[in-house]
Amino acid sequence: MRVVIAEDNPLLRDGIALLLGEHDIEVSAAVPDAAGLLAAVAADPPDAAIVDVRMPPTHTDEGLRAALAIRSAYPGVGVLVFSQWVETSYARQLLSENAGRVGYLLKDRIVSTDEFVGALRRVADGGTALDPEVVRQLLAAPAVDAGLARLSDREREILGLLAEGRSNVAIAEALHLVERSVEKHVTAIFTKLDLPQARTDHRRVLAVLRYLRS
Amino acid sequence: MTVPSTPAAGQGRLVTVLRAWLTARTWRELAYLVSGVIIGAPTFVLAIFGVVATMASVLTIGLPVLIGVLALARLTPRYFRVPARRLLGWEWADPPPLPARTFWGRVRALPSDPTAWRALAYCLARWPLMIVGGYPGLLGVVLAPAAITYPLWWPMLPDDFNAFNNDTWAGTWRIALQGLAILIAVPWWLRLVVLLDGVLIRALLHPSRSQQRIAELEAGRAALQSDAAAMLRRVERDLHDGTQARLVALGLTLSRIENRSTQDQVRTLAADARGTVTEALAELRDIVRGMHPPALDDGLEVALTTLAARSAVPAEVTVSLADRPPDPTASALYFAVAELLTNIARHAGATRVRIDLRPDDRGLRLTVTDDGHGGATIIAPGGTPTGHGAFPADHGTLPADHGTVPGGRPASGAARAGARGSGTGLAGLARRAAALDGSLSVDSPAGGPTTVTMILPERV
Repeated sequence: MRVVIAEDNPLLRDGIALLLGEHDIEVSAAVPDAAGLLAAVAADPPDAAIVDVRMPPTHTDEGLRAALAIRSAYPGVGVLVFSQWVETSYARQLLSENAGRVGYLLKDRIVSTDEFVGALRRVADGGTALDPEVVRQLLAAPAVDAGLARLSDREREILGLLAEGRSNVAIAEALHLVERSVEKHVTAIFTKLDLPQARTDHRRVLAVLRYLRS
Repeated sequence: MTVPSTPAAGQGRLVTVLRAWLTARTWRELAYLVSGVIIGAPTFVLAIFGVVATMASVLTIGLPVLIGVLALARLTPRYFRVPARRLLGWEWADPPPLPARTFWGRVRALPSDPTAWRALAYCLARWPLMIVGGYPGLLGVVLAPAAITYPLWWPMLPDDFNAFNNDTWAGTWRIALQGLAILIAVPWWLRLVVLLDGVLIRALLHPSRSQQRIAELEAGRAALQSDAAAMLRRVERDLHDGTQARLVALGLTLSRIENRSTQDQVRTLAADARGTVTEALAELRDIVRGMHPPALDDGLEVALTTLAARSAVPAEVTVSLADRPPDPTASALYFAVAELLTNIARHAGATRVRIDLRPDDRGLRLTVTDDGHGGATIIAPGGTPTGHGAFPADHGTLPADHGTVPGGRPASGAARAGARGSGTGLAGLARRAAALDGSLSVDSPAGGPTTVTMILPERV
C-alpha cells in the first residue's frame, strides 16, 4: 500500500513516515501543506492520503478542504483526516458524499498504532474509519435515545463499532465474540432501528449515521 | 484693582488692564457670552418646562413631559460643549450612557439619572448668567466708543437732538470719562462671568467624580478580562502545538520500539509507556478544555451543542443570538452551561435538559431547565441559602459555620438542598455572573422541574 502524508509538524511527519515504513506501508511523499499534498496526489496517486486538518497558512481547515478536493477529483484515493479536536461538522462534511474511503480520527489515535494502521488499511480498502470519540458524541444526541433504548447493551456496543466502520470480523475480534453471533446482533440492530439491510461495510456506516443524525 | 507692590509692577498691571480689548481672549469671551444668550434661550425654556413638569408630575400629563425633558436635558452637555470648545478651548468627557438598552428601560432609568437633572439645573442657571454677562459686553462694545468720542461729534449734532441726555459741552467730557471707565471694566466683567460659567459647568456638566471613577474601573476590568482571555488562548495554543505534538511523537517512537524489539520484556515496557502517553494526551485535552475550550472559537452555538452532545443527560440547545458576544461573556456562558450540566447529571435525576440562549433587554439570557427532582438552591459560603432571585449576600453578614444544612425555605425541600451540588457550584456561578454585572436565579421547587437563569450584559 502506498500513502502520502500531509502534516506541518516535522516531528510528526517523520515519525509517522518511519512508523508506517515498519508496518510495510510505503510512504511515497511527505509534504508540509495542502498545496504540496494536491501536487503529490496529482503527480502519482497513492492508495490513501493522511492529512492533518490544520495546516499553513491559516491553520484552520486547509487539510479538510484538500481532503474533500481529493475525494471528488480522485475517487480512487482514500483520505484519512486527523484533527486535534472532535469537530462533528468536519466529520459530517467528509461523510456527506459517500462514506467510502474516508476516515476521521483524533491525533491522539496515532499513538494507538494498531488502531491507526487498522484505520488506514480500512480506508485504503474502500471502508470507513470514524474516531470512537466522534461516534460517542453522535450517539449522545437526544433524538436517537428513544430508538437506542430498544437495544441491549451488547447491541449498543456493536452499533458503536459499526459506526466506526469496522467489519463483522473486526467487531468479533474486538469484543471476543464468534463472527456468527456478531452477524445475528447486527441483523437485530438493523431491524430494531428500522434500517435498510446494507451489504457493504461503508454502506452500513452510512445507514447508521443517517439514523444517528435524524 | 490691587495695590501694586512696586511702581514697575503696578505699571505692568495697568497696561494689562488697559490693553484688555486688544487681546483675543476678550473677544472670544464676548462671542461666547453673546452666542450663549442665543443658544441658551431654548434650553432655558426646556428647563422651565422641566420645573413645571416636576411640579405637575403627579398628574398624568406631567410625567411623560418630564421624561421627555430629561431625555433632552441629557443631550445638552454635548450641545454646550461645542461653543465652549471652539471659543474657549474647554473640554469635558461625554456623560455616561443610561444603564438600560431597551426603550422602556431607558424611560424607567431617566427620572433617577443624575446627569439629566444636573444638566437641567445648568440650563436653568445659564441663560440668566449669559444675559448678565453678554448685555454689558455688547453695550461696552457699542456705546463706549461712542461715549468716548462724544466730545468730538457733539458739536455736529443738530440742536434739538439729545444724545446721552446732555446739553453742554462740558458734560460731554463727563460722558466720555464714563465711557472710558466702562470700556476698561467690561473685559474684566466678561472674564468674571465666564469664570462663573466655568464653575457651573464643572459642577453640573462634567461627569461627576464617582462617575469618572466608575468609568475608569469598568475600563480597567474589561482590560484585565481580555488580557486574561488572551493569555489563556496563548497557553492553549502552546500546549496544543507544542506539548501535544511532542507527546504524539513520543508515542510514535515508543510504538516503533515495540515493533522492532524481539524481546518480550522490552515490548511490554514500551506498550506500557505508550499507554501512559495516551493517558497524558487525554489529560492534556481535558485541561485545555477546562481553560479555553477550542469549540468556543467557532461560536457559542457550536460550543454549547458540543457540550450538550457530551452531556450524560440528553440535552437540547437553542441559541438565537444576532451577533457574537464578547469573549469573556461567551466564556462565562460556556462554563456556566458545563457546570450546570455536570450538576444535573450528578444530582438532579433528570431525563431531559433544555438549554436556551437569547437576547433580553438586560443583555443575554441563558435558561437551563431540567425535569429532575428539584430542590436546588444557591448556598453562599457560610451555609445560608439564598434561593430565588439575588446572588449571595456579602460574606460579612453570614454566619460563620460552614456547610450547615439550612432550614430556610420549605418550598425548596431543605433536606435535598444540601445534596444538590451542595449549592457551592451554583454560588460560584452566581459570583461569576455578578463579576460581569449579571445575575443568576434558581427556581427549583421540590419535585422539579428546575430552571436556572443567568443574565449577563452584553457589554462588559
